[in-house]
Amino acid sequence: MSLADGFGEQNLEDVVSVLVRLVEAAGAAIIFVGAVIAFARFLLVAFRREGLDPFARLRLDLGRFLVLGLEFQLAADILRTAVAPDFTELAQLATVAAIRTALNFFLGLEIKEETELVRADKAAAAPPGTGAHPP
Amino acid sequence: MIATVSRDAAVLVTAAGLVVATAALARTRRAPLALALLLDFFTAAALLRLAAPPSWAALGAAALTIAIRQLASRGLAAARGARHR
Repeated sequence: MSLADGFGEQNLEDVVSVLVRLVEAAGAAIIFVGAVIAFARFLLVAFRREGLDPFARLRLDLGRFLVLGLEFQLAADILRTAVAPDFTELAQLATVAAIRTALNFFLGLEIKEETELVRADKAAAAPPGTGAHPP
Repeated sequence: MIATVSRDAAVLVTAAGLVVATAALARTRRAPLALALLLDFFTAAALLRLAAPPSWAALGAAALTIAIRQLASRGLAAARGARHR
């Protein structure tokens, strides 16, 4: 009897499958909650008069939720590789992981740039002589 | 189960994006801002669609959405950067 038979390869696959679903659902929930929060905050912000661009912060926060959700989904992709899938599943997994990794990288870059622009907007909006410096 | 829920969630997020972008356009009269908001919500929807075991068509659609988003947001960031200089 091989080790795989003794341990129960099918059991391992079942456990990994449940874990993948849990982590994937957590990632999807984070993305969905982020979108709901962004929508609710948009409704609050849209009809208020504010000096600074109120939507920049909103986009930043939504971007952060997307990045966090993506991290969970990437973790689920890595877990999926623990059980040997067939070639088609493996190719799909590789494509999904590539899309998510690329998006994660670009979102991180965008968040950094957007944060700098928000700081620049704040500095430009502050009246001269107030000594308002970005943190 | 997850597939159905995440597809429904994706539809809701897409609808929310359309509402947000339309309202932002009406409120600010700034088309680039409305487009950026719309693309953010569409990206969230594309990621939710990828949560279920995806078909090749869904993968292609998600990759295309994200590529368009990157292209548009690069263009918008460049335009904004030029205004700041």
